[in-house]
Amino acid sequence: MKNSIRALRADRGWSQADLAERLDVSRQTINAIETGRYDPSLPLAFAISRLFGLPVEAIFSPDQETA
Amino acid sequence: MKAGTHEKRTGKAYLREMMGALLAYTLLLVASIVFGRPMSEGLLRTVVLLSPMIGFCFMLWAIARHLGRLDEYLRRNLLDSFALAAALTAGLTFSYGFLETAGYPRLSMFVVWMVLCASTGLVTTVRALRQR
Repeated sequence: MKNSIRALRADRGWSQADLAERLDVSRQTINAIETGRYDPSLPLAFAISRLFGLPVEAIFSPDQETA
Repeated sequence: MKAGTHEKRTGKAYLREMMGALLAYTLLLVASIVFGRPMSEGLLRTVVLLSPMIGFCFMLWAIARHLGRLDEYLRRNLLDSFALAAALTAGLTFSYGFLETAGYPRLSMFVVWMVLCASTGLVTTVRALRQR
């Protein structure tokens, strides 16, 4: 799954550590999500969506649209 | 915002609980050696010699609580490492079982625990290096 978290975070001038603290997760988790090594659970995806004030589908998108 | 990072908070809590469990284990181990070994054979001696496992159970409890506190990614990573380490331990100890049949010296069951600890350390280190 692709995501735009790195860009959204950069727009707000937050470091990975800042975002991690706001979401109460580790910095490694943010790094893994941003680099596509880990897809967050639905609760974490919604927490990210709430924090950025955007719908989940505006932040996350599938690698390939399925039919 | 909450004080301290997720890693620091979970790490501190784990260290505190694991140290307490280790202390309990050490005290019970010393007591079992001092009082249990000289006792005459019987159920009471067995119970006293087995008592350090109470401390060991506290350690398992500390690990379980740590897993519960970690965020989802770290928890999955740690559980993956435990699974791989358990598989590695099974492979090594199973292999040694065949080697014993081939004449290698018989080892204590305590060795399994040490192999599991070493396997967990190895797997965790390799996975951490690969993620860099």
